[in-house]
Amino acid sequence: MKITEPGQWQRTSPLAILFFFGKLLKLIGQNAWQSIAPFAAFIFAYEGELVTKIVFAVIAFFIISTSLSVLNYWFFRFQLIDDSILIRQGVVKKTQLDIKFDRIQGINTQQNVVFRYFGLVTVNLDTAGSSGNEGNLPAVTREFADSLRRMIGKVRNGDDGVVADARPDADALLSLDSRDLIRIGLADRRALIVFAVLSPLIERMDDNVYKIAASYVDEAIGGAWQTSIAAGAVIATSAALAVIALLALISIGAAFLRYHNFQLFLEGDTLRSHGGLLTSHELSMNLGKIQTLRLEQGIVMRCFSRYRLSGRQARSSQKQGKNKNFIIPLVNKTQANHLREILLAPEGDDLIQIPTSPEFIPISPNYMRTRFLLISLLPTVVGLAVFSNLIGPASLVFLLWLSASSLLIYQNWRRAGYHCSSDGFVRRSGLVGYRTVALLYRKVQRVTVTQSRYQRRKSLASLRFYMASGSVRIPYIEHDTAKRLRDYALYKVESSQQAWH
Amino acid sequence: MFRNPEIELDDLPDMEDLEWQPMHRHYVRRMLLERLIFAFVLLAASFVPTIASGGKFAPTVPLWVLAIIFALPYLSWPLVSVPRRGYVVRDKDIVFKSGVFWRSVTAVPFNRVQHVETSNTPLDRKFGLANLQIFTAGGSGGDLSISGLGADIAEQLRVYILDKVGASIENH
Repeated sequence: MKITEPGQWQRTSPLAILFFFGKLLKLIGQNAWQSIAPFAAFIFAYEGELVTKIVFAVIAFFIISTSLSVLNYWFFRFQLIDDSILIRQGVVKKTQLDIKFDRIQGINTQQNVVFRYFGLVTVNLDTAGSSGNEGNLPAVTREFADSLRRMIGKVRNGDDGVVADARPDADALLSLDSRDLIRIGLADRRALIVFAVLSPLIERMDDNVYKIAASYVDEAIGGAWQTSIAAGAVIATSAALAVIALLALISIGAAFLRYHNFQLFLEGDTLRSHGGLLTSHELSMNLGKIQTLRLEQGIVMRCFSRYRLSGRQARSSQKQGKNKNFIIPLVNKTQANHLREILLAPEGDDLIQIPTSPEFIPISPNYMRTRFLLISLLPTVVGLAVFSNLIGPASLVFLLWLSASSLLIYQNWRRAGYHCSSDGFVRRSGLVGYRTVALLYRKVQRVTVTQSRYQRRKSLASLRFYMASGSVRIPYIEHDTAKRLRDYALYKVESSQQAWH
Repeated sequence: MFRNPEIELDDLPDMEDLEWQPMHRHYVRRMLLERLIFAFVLLAASFVPTIASGGKFAPTVPLWVLAIIFALPYLSWPLVSVPRRGYVVRDKDIVFKSGVFWRSVTAVPFNRVQHVETSNTPLDRKFGLANLQIFTAGGSGGDLSISGLGADIAEQLRVYILDKVGASIENH
């Protein structure tokens, strides 16, 4: 497929059928129960041999979904005109998308194993702030994707589009090796979610373990009583260890799938990342689109002294809460500093984002008071008062809550801090790990200074910068500092001649 | 020509001596009326248990006392909160303050405004009031919404802000 004359409708490669098939499967997966219902009805409502019915149902499913995919492919057409791309799609409900090039924030591509063999990619056009208007171009050639990227760059920059050839090894900023991927896998928070999903299963396993242990105990009543308790304990411990190991493996596997051969490189003012084992993902983002830069370090990452860096883009008002992030999953300290200089260039040079830096200014310790009263003291007093009659001295367990939560509040206060330079601001927060968010004053959308009664007495205030990607709040700083920062940020915004996006 | 004059931090315009514009003088009355209407609807609804219990008031008296205790601050709240609101339109931004216990001051620079909206409810129209909503990108935590402006002022502000937004775009 070539890039043809403007004004002609064209189809993508027939392999796009695969893309639509995958999309259909995803849709079925998302509406699992509704999709299974007819199938189940077929299996149970009609008479006949079960195996035959299942075979029949599976064949029918494949025929229907394949023909749907073919139809979807057949009705999918697109054309490029001067400054926009038109997409017509839909079998029954036909839609036409008109995506203006200057609305496109980034062009991301995905390539699964089959597409890779044929040199095809799926292009995802990432548009600013319009959730229903996102375009996918399945199964187009890589050359077409690159030329599209150049065209869009040209329109957006109004110049010849200085986008260089996509050569990952040319000026790579960062690449990840297998050890890094293992680190990502181990530090992944989603491991916990997997754990939460699997926990009912694990509970059931626990039951079985308990039964086995119980049978051991029964057996052992006569004689070797202690050994079987030990055996039960060993079984339980090893089961728990096995689960943890399994979770770690799954998580590492996911990291390999997503980030294998991960490379980050800069082309002009566009940041691109590339990686993935089976399906390779290629993301691109214009540097100017970055609203806030987030550096995070969980407890596992801290052991490896690594960080996770993400650039946040403007979020759409329709899709509340869904941020468009450009994630760099693992960086060390030097890389984090280097990348910050590039990503927030040229103003980000003298910002400090490494959380352990002594440059961070702490917030007022009064921050802890309200939290202590509400989170620690109140539940403890209520708990003691209510439960002391019911469970007697055992209610003293609430004192544990008092000490534990106080400790956490103290940790939270110690982690909180801020740092400002002449062009930007960094907020540090965290509980166990650290998170620092860097922003440039000139990209601020609006500012709020808030004071509670208590804060007024202590002449403290909370400052909140609203960015297009969400807000950044720094609580309990001196009221005068807050006002000065606000006035300075407003001055920066109002005197800035540069676009914020 | 590109200029980059050095700025003395203390010379930056601050908000210490701003002349805060109060809300429209009918706004308190409008708020009181709204709350009264709401209270009357609740009052009508609360006759239902009384009627259901055979028209006897005696058992429901504690409930009535409780209702009055809660209703008084609710009804009189606008008298406290509205005088604490205020706005200032400056050359490059609009500043709005509000809050009784938590006092906040929000500033929206005109060159970050996405669009401006005025709206009014039937009750607003009765008192000649309007709401002005100013939208910026991101839309987190609600955009700046100023209610209780005179309808004419809201319209003037809308035009003024749009004008400023247009000017800031042309400067790019």
